[in-house]
Amino acid sequence: MNHSAPLDALTTQQVGHLRHFENLSLQPANDWSLMKGIGTGQDDFGAYRFQLAYMAYALAITHVHRLPAAPGAFKPIFERLIAKLLLPETWLYWRDVSRGGSIFNAHLKDQYIEEWDPVVRDNIMYSAYVQSLTLLYNVLFDDDRYAQPDAITFEHWSYFWGGDGHRFHYDQNSLNEHLYWKMVESGYLGVACEPNCIFQICNQPAILGFRMNDLLTGGNLAEEVTRGYEQAWTQFGRLGDNGHYHVMLSEDTRTVRPNLAQAPWVDAWCGALMNMWNGDFVRAHYPQQLADLLLQEPDGTLSVKSAPRPPINGHVVLNDDSDFGWIAAWASEMGDEETLRGLLHHADRHMAPRWRDGGLYYPRNDVAVDAAGHRTLVEPMTGNVLLGYARLNVRDGLQGIYRGPWVRTHFKEPAIIEVGGGIDILQARFEPASHSLLFTLQVRADHPVSEAWVVLGRIDGRGRWTLLFDSQIVAYGDAVKLSISGPVQLRRTDAGLELRWSGSRIQPMRLIFANDCIDGPPA
Amino acid sequence: MTAATTSKQSLLSGGEIELIDHFGQPVSSHDWRDQCSLVLFGFTHCRVVCPRALARYGVVLDQLAAEGTPVRGLYISVDPARDSPQVMRDFLAPHPRFIGLTGSVEQIERAKVAFRVFARRASDPDDSVGYRVPHTAIAYLLDADGNCLAHFADAFSGEEVLARLRPLLAA
Repeated sequence: MNHSAPLDALTTQQVGHLRHFENLSLQPANDWSLMKGIGTGQDDFGAYRFQLAYMAYALAITHVHRLPAAPGAFKPIFERLIAKLLLPETWLYWRDVSRGGSIFNAHLKDQYIEEWDPVVRDNIMYSAYVQSLTLLYNVLFDDDRYAQPDAITFEHWSYFWGGDGHRFHYDQNSLNEHLYWKMVESGYLGVACEPNCIFQICNQPAILGFRMNDLLTGGNLAEEVTRGYEQAWTQFGRLGDNGHYHVMLSEDTRTVRPNLAQAPWVDAWCGALMNMWNGDFVRAHYPQQLADLLLQEPDGTLSVKSAPRPPINGHVVLNDDSDFGWIAAWASEMGDEETLRGLLHHADRHMAPRWRDGGLYYPRNDVAVDAAGHRTLVEPMTGNVLLGYARLNVRDGLQGIYRGPWVRTHFKEPAIIEVGGGIDILQARFEPASHSLLFTLQVRADHPVSEAWVVLGRIDGRGRWTLLFDSQIVAYGDAVKLSISGPVQLRRTDAGLELRWSGSRIQPMRLIFANDCIDGPPA
Repeated sequence: MTAATTSKQSLLSGGEIELIDHFGQPVSSHDWRDQCSLVLFGFTHCRVVCPRALARYGVVLDQLAAEGTPVRGLYISVDPARDSPQVMRDFLAPHPRFIGLTGSVEQIERAKVAFRVFARRASDPDDSVGYRVPHTAIAYLLDADGNCLAHFADAFSGEEVLARLRPLLAA
């Protein structure tokens, strides 16, 4: 018999997105299948680094807001995404981009030299993701592995060229400190991405990193930086005359580039991130900005008005702007369910959703519209990441992480700390009032039964426990004894209680403890 | 939760800084090695931030001296074109805990780089000469060996700074 899932359980599509993130994270090193966008050389907005980072942010949001008692479902994926972010393929572009030469910085082309270290100068569009993800990992999982000396190492060596190669060592703290001082040196305007180009968007992840650092250390870098940032940008204004976020600021001339074309990605990406610390401002401007960017489709779905990129000196600008995906992500952060529903409805109808190895994604499609005029353009950033991000997010989801994701007792509460490949976690939360770990497991039909297991951890010291499937007791025990009376296999391990189960496809479970704290019952 | 640690600030790693004090005498950062110092950057035409910071930190330094842990106050100009030693001395007269430091453009640039300070001239029609110099408003605590032990953003109150300085100075 199949059981229905609880109301707060993940939907089939949400699970599908998580599986797709996991699938991409499991690809062998330098296998970037499904992730290559239209641009060349990883220097555009669809680059691997962005896809990796926003998959990780989506995992964080889902863990904190939907499955807080299932760190085991997220931690290994998070680690693999960070490992991929450190691969040379994601940052080697900086060796070239650091030399400048952009058409809008032509006057500076002689001032820049090749730089191999991808975080030491400018390039906040990469460094902030390494900084924020490693610190976020520490906050989410109480694991300081990236704080260890040289835990963040950028290394490249080739058999065929480049002599002894290059190696740069950091850790989450030294990188955070470096970015903080770069922010100070900029007068809090922000650190540049490409040379001379300070994007509002790309400095927001660094602010998230500062905040995570503060949560770990008790410091207040984020408050200092955001206060300075607000003051520094006062002279330019955050928005242009048309009410849309400025694209960037030229470092040398201190001139802003307004978003005259009303490119959706500018507002949406900036708004989705800046809502972390400047929510009132973002929310106040959201309705009018969105109204300029949305398209009501005849079939009742919603789409996005992309701004065409004009040719530059006869060249076509190839860039995965990911407008549709960013608007969806922004709407999700705003809690604008009507807009999000309309966009996802459009994606499901016109963007060819596909299931692959159990994962859900929208495959890349370079065709802008179909014969009926419906938007069909899907960049890998949109199809792999942002639509999943939007579907998994909750109102103020990233803001909640910024504020502080966990209560003090979080890491002492029972949780699912390891997950076999044959299981989806649909629900996992600890209920202090009833001393209960509530979780719902789904056996994956596409995996061997031997992979259908989880480990329930942080249970020592809580005394007797009882395991129920729905309302039926299937096992009970304590630190010494273990008695099984239902369709489940249990065994004690060093990490906790290993649960194997191959019964109905979706099974709500409840593990009830005698004690409400690890110190045992009150005297 | 496992806490991330904050490493010692990587400032002042580029060698000695040479400047001119507000008596017109050449000094170097080596001369500050006899006691702890609190270093501010600013410019004498600053209308709000510098007077407020000098007043706040002056009280802090008075209190520390009263507690038997004197700390030298240093105020480094980011506007060497206007801030001569005499101008600095006059400006700092109400703030006797501070020694003013200025120098050539190159000397000031070296000091800014060493402390990773932002300062950039900006036009200001309300200024008598038509410009101001927005700058980093951070106070740096150096120990007697020239290491930066801590830094304080402008938002810190004098009481907060005192509370953080005392254990650092006692260590």
